Amino acid sequence: MNRVTRWRLAMRLLARDWRAGELRILGAAIVIAVAASTAIGFFTDRLGRGMINQSADFLGADLVLESPRPVRTQWLAEARDTGLRTSETLEFSSVLVVGDRLQLASVRAVDAGFPLRGRLRTAAGPFLTDAEDVTTPAAGEAWAAPRLLTRLGLNSGDTLAVGKQSLVIAKVLTFEPGEAGSPFGLAPRLLMNLADVPATGVVQPGSRLTYHYLFAGSEQDIARYRGWLKSRLGPSHRLVGVQEGRRAVGTALERAERFLGLAVMAAIVLAGVAIAMAARRYSERHFDMSAMLRCLGATQRDLLELYLAQLLVLGLLASAAGCLLGWLAQQGLLVLLADLLPMAPSAPRAWPLLAGLFTGLVVLAGFALPPVLRLKRVPPLRVLRRDLSPLPGNAWLVYGAAVTAVVLLMWRYTDNAKLTLAALAGGAAALVVLGVLGFVLLALGRRLHTRVGVAWRFGLNNLWRRRRTSVSQILAFGLALMAMAVIALVRSDLLTTWESQLPVDVPNHFAINILPDQVEAVRGFMDAREVPTTQIYPMVRGRLVSINDEPVRQAVTKEAQSDNALNRELNFTWTTELQEDNRIVNGRWWRSGDSGRPLVSVESKLAERLGIELDDELGFTVGDERFSARVASIRSVQWDSFRPNFYMVFPPAVIERFPATYMTSFYLPPGDKPMLIELVRNYPALTVLEMDLIIAQVERIFRQVTLAVEYVLLFVLLAGFAVLFAALQASLDERLYEGALLRALGASRRQLRSGHLAEFITLGALAGLVAAIGTECIAWVLYSQVLHFDYSFKWPVWVAAPLLGAVLIGAAGYRGTRPVVERSPALLLREG
Amino acid sequence: MVAASGLSKRVATAAGPLDILADIDLQIHAGEAVAIVGVSGSGKSTLLGLLAGLDLPSSGDVRLAGHHMNALDEDGRAQVRGELVGFVFQSFQLLSGLTALENVMLPLELANTSAPRLQATGLLERVGLAERLTHYPKQLSGGEQQRVAIARAFSMQPAILFADEPTGNLDSSTGETIIDLLFELNHEHHATLVLVTHDEALAGRCERRIRLEAGRVVEPDGTA
Ligand SMILES: Nc1ncnc2c1ncn2[C@@H]1O[C@H](COP(=O)(O)OP(=O)(O)O)[C@@H](O)[C@H]1O
Ligand SMILES: [Mg+2]
Repeated sequence: MNRVTRWRLAMRLLARDWRAGELRILGAAIVIAVAASTAIGFFTDRLGRGMINQSADFLGADLVLESPRPVRTQWLAEARDTGLRTSETLEFSSVLVVGDRLQLASVRAVDAGFPLRGRLRTAAGPFLTDAEDVTTPAAGEAWAAPRLLTRLGLNSGDTLAVGKQSLVIAKVLTFEPGEAGSPFGLAPRLLMNLADVPATGVVQPGSRLTYHYLFAGSEQDIARYRGWLKSRLGPSHRLVGVQEGRRAVGTALERAERFLGLAVMAAIVLAGVAIAMAARRYSERHFDMSAMLRCLGATQRDLLELYLAQLLVLGLLASAAGCLLGWLAQQGLLVLLADLLPMAPSAPRAWPLLAGLFTGLVVLAGFALPPVLRLKRVPPLRVLRRDLSPLPGNAWLVYGAAVTAVVLLMWRYTDNAKLTLAALAGGAAALVVLGVLGFVLLALGRRLHTRVGVAWRFGLNNLWRRRRTSVSQILAFGLALMAMAVIALVRSDLLTTWESQLPVDVPNHFAINILPDQVEAVRGFMDAREVPTTQIYPMVRGRLVSINDEPVRQAVTKEAQSDNALNRELNFTWTTELQEDNRIVNGRWWRSGDSGRPLVSVESKLAERLGIELDDELGFTVGDERFSARVASIRSVQWDSFRPNFYMVFPPAVIERFPATYMTSFYLPPGDKPMLIELVRNYPALTVLEMDLIIAQVERIFRQVTLAVEYVLLFVLLAGFAVLFAALQASLDERLYEGALLRALGASRRQLRSGHLAEFITLGALAGLVAAIGTECIAWVLYSQVLHFDYSFKWPVWVAAPLLGAVLIGAAGYRGTRPVVERSPALLLREG
Repeated sequence: MVAASGLSKRVATAAGPLDILADIDLQIHAGEAVAIVGVSGSGKSTLLGLLAGLDLPSSGDVRLAGHHMNALDEDGRAQVRGELVGFVFQSFQLLSGLTALENVMLPLELANTSAPRLQATGLLERVGLAERLTHYPKQLSGGEQQRVAIARAFSMQPAILFADEPTGNLDSSTGETIIDLLFELNHEHHATLVLVTHDEALAGRCERRIRLEAGRVVEPDGTA
C-alpha cells in the first residue's frame, strides 16, 4: 500500500469510526484534557501578568535604573526609540529648617510623567482622608509626608525652603509608588518639581544624589531594552524590575503561581488518565479490525501508519476543539470575575492556544500511543480464534511514555527542574507502590467475600477475576482522585496561610524612635485610647564585624561579600519572649539564667547567606565599642507579617548599656487616624510609619489571588469529575457484555444491579484509599520542598477520598451499567 | 495450487505439548473444490489457518500458488493473502463499526482499486442485499451477514477461497442458500475452494474430501 492510499483509507476509517460513535470517549477525553489545561493556562497567564502589572504599580514603573550620576542621554533616547515611556527623578537628603526646628528630609524631585505606573495619593492635610492624585507638584510647589509636616509644625499652604529655593506646601503626600521597600531609617519624604532643582543649589560636585530613571512599556520592549542596557551598566548602577520590586507580596504570589502550575499539572494527569483508559478501550475494540485488515493483506507497517494517521488527526481536531472550549471557559470566567477582580486582567495572548495544542498531542502520544501500538501486533489468526489477543503492551513502554509525557509537560508548565524531578521520582515510585497496594487491597477484599452478602460476593469476585484490569482501574481512578485531592488540600492550606499572614487587626502602623524615658508614657497613651500594640522593643543599631574572630568580609563566601547586611547597620534588640511569628529552627531560646550572658539569636536567612552556624562566635560594634556573643539559636522570621522583626536578638542585660530607642507596631482603624496628630505632637521625637495603604494593597492582591485559586480549584474538580466519568465509561464494555450473558443465563435484574453497585463501590473506595496514600506522600514532598508550608498529617483526606470515591464511582458505575437491565440481553450480546 | 507436506502443529498447553496436527500431506489443484471434514476438535480450522498462511506450522511446508509460506515473513504472507486469498468464516467476522457496504469495500480500499464503492455495491446486489447497503452488521440477520462476508471474500477476485464452517452459525435452510451462493460465485470466479465443514452433506457437494481425525488425514482419496 502506498502512503496516499494509507492516508485515504485512514481518513475513511476515522470518519466511519466517528459516525459509529467509536471515537466519542477518546475524543471527549482529549477535549477535556486540552480544555482544562488551556483554560487554566490562559487564566494563569493573564492573571500572572495582571499581578506583574500590580507589582509595577508598587514600583511606579516596569523597570527602574538607579544611578548616582546622570546617565548618558543616549540611554534614554534608546529607551524612547524602543517604544518605552520614561520618567526621571532625583533624590537627595536635605535638612529643612523652619524657625528653630531642624528636620532631615528625603527630597525627591520628579518630572510631570512620574509615576509611570500606579498613582500617587494625597490628602489636604496631615492624617486626613486621602485619594489618588494624577498630577505631580508644579514648579514652586512641594508635597510633603505627614510626619515631615508634624515635625516641622507646618500645614499645607505654608512655605518651606529647600536649599535656596522656597516652595509652597500644596498637598500632603500619603503614598508614593516605589517606596514600598524598607520603610525604616528613611527620612520623611518631600516631593518637588525637577525644574526647581537648579535653583536650590543642592546639586554640587560631591553631593550625594540618586537619580532614578523609570521605564514603562510592553513586556517585550522592556525585555529588549533591559537586555540592551544590561551590558552597558557600570558598578554603581542598579536595575530594578517588577520581579525584584515585589517583595511585599513576594512569597504569597510565588506560592499562588506554584499553585496554578500545580493545577495545570493536575489537569494534565487527569487528562492522561482519561486518555489512557479511552485509548485502551479504543485499542481493544479495534483488535478485530486489525486482524481482518491483516487477513486481507495489510502489513504491520500499513497498520501502524493507518492508526497513527487516525490518531494524529483525531488528536489535532480534538485539541483544537479543546483549545476553543478552554478559551471560552476562561473568557467566561473573566466575565464572571469582572466585578470581583479589582484589576483589569491583561489581554489574552496566543501562546496558551499553541500550548494547548501541544499539550493535547503530547498527552495523546504519552498515554494513547502504547495501547494503539498494540494494534499492529494483533495476530491475523484471530479471525479463526477469537480469543487470540496481542500481548499486552510492554510495561516499560506504557509507563515510560506516560511518564515522559508528564515530565515534558511539567517542565514546560512549571519551568522548575526540582519540582519536575521530585514529581518524576515520586510519581514513578508511587505508581509501583500503589499498583502493588491496589493488588493487596483487592486480595484482602476478596478474603472478606465469604462474610458478605451475595451481591457483594458477586462484586468482589468480579473484581478479583479481572484483577489486572481492576488494579489498573483502581490506579486510574486513584490518580484522578489524587489530583483533585492534592489541589483541594493545597488550596485550603494556601488560604489559611494568607489569612494568618494578614489577620484583620494586623498592625498597620509603626511607631519608631520612642525615647527610653517616654516608653511608659507612650504605652499609657495607647492604652488610654484602647489601641492594641505589640510588645515595645528596644532597638540598638550596630554592625556585625567578625565571625569566629575572622573579619566578616573574609569569613563569608564571595557572593555574600556584597550582602547588604555587611554594608549597613543592623537592628539589634533584646527580649525574653520569642515573637509570636518567630520559630527556633536550631539551638534553643533563652532560659531564665541566660540574662547577661553573651548569647545571640540570629535570623535564619541571614545566617544561611553568611554561613553562620550554631555556637559561632560573632563580633559586633555599636558606636565605637566592640563586643562578642555566641550563637545560641537560629530563628526563622516571617518578614512579610508586618510586625517588628530583628536580625539579632540578645538576652536581657547584654546590650542594654548601649543607647537605644524603642519601637512598636499597632493597628489603627481608618477612622482613628487623627489620633496620630496628637501622638506626634506629644512626643515630637517619635516617628509614625503608616503601613496601612501598603497593607490594603497587599490585602487586595491576596483577595484576588484567593478568588483565582478558588476558581481554578473548581475547574480542576470539574475536569476531574468529567474524567472519572469518561474513564468509567471506557471500562463498561466488558461488564455490559457479561451482565447480558448472566441475564441470559437467568440472573435476576436485582442481583445484577446490586452486584454491579457493590463492585463499583469497592472499586471507588479502594481507589480513594490509594488516592489518600498518594496524596499524603505528594503533600509531604510539596510542602517541605516546594511550597515551604508546615506539614501535618492530612487525616481529612483519608476519610474524604475513599468516601467520595465510593459514592462517585459507585453512582456513576451504577448508572453506566443500567443498559444491562434496560435493554434485552440479546441486543447487548449482539453488539458485544 | 495449495500443497502441504509433512505439516504438523504442536502447541504448548498447561498439560504439556499437544499435537494438533501431525504429518499432513495434501495437494489441491487450481479450480478444484475440496472439503476438509472431521468432527469438531479434529484440527480443521488449524489446518485451514496454516494453508492460508495465517499461522506457521511447527514443522513441514506449505506452498500457496507457488509461494513457500514458511520462507516468507508475516508481511510477505500478508501480501500473498491480499493478492490471492479470500476468506469466509463461521462467525462472519464483519466489522461492527462498518456498514455492509463499507465491510465489502474494505479489501478494495486496502488494495487501492478504483471505484471501490461501485464494485462493492455490485457485489452486494449480486448476493441479494441491494437494499441493505447502509446497514450495520448488528442490524442484519446471520444469513445476511454471511452474504456480506461472501461478497467481501469475492471482492478481490481471489484465486483461492478458504471457508471455515460457513454455515456453522446458520439454520439449515439459510445455510443451504448460503452454500448455493458460495458455489455459484466460486464458479463464476473460477476460484479454487477449500471448504472446512463437519457436515457430510455439504462436503458431498465438493469434488473431493480430505478427512481429519485427531490431527491426521485418514481418507486421502484421490491423491495426485
Ligand atoms: N493455540 C492452541 N492452544 C491449545 N490448543 C489449541 C490451540 N489451537 C487449537 N487447539 C486445540 O486443537 C484442537 C483442534 O482445534 P481446531 O483446529 O479449532 O478444530 P476444529 O476446527 O476441527 O474444530 C482443539 O482441541 C483445540 O482446542
Ligand atoms: Mg473449527
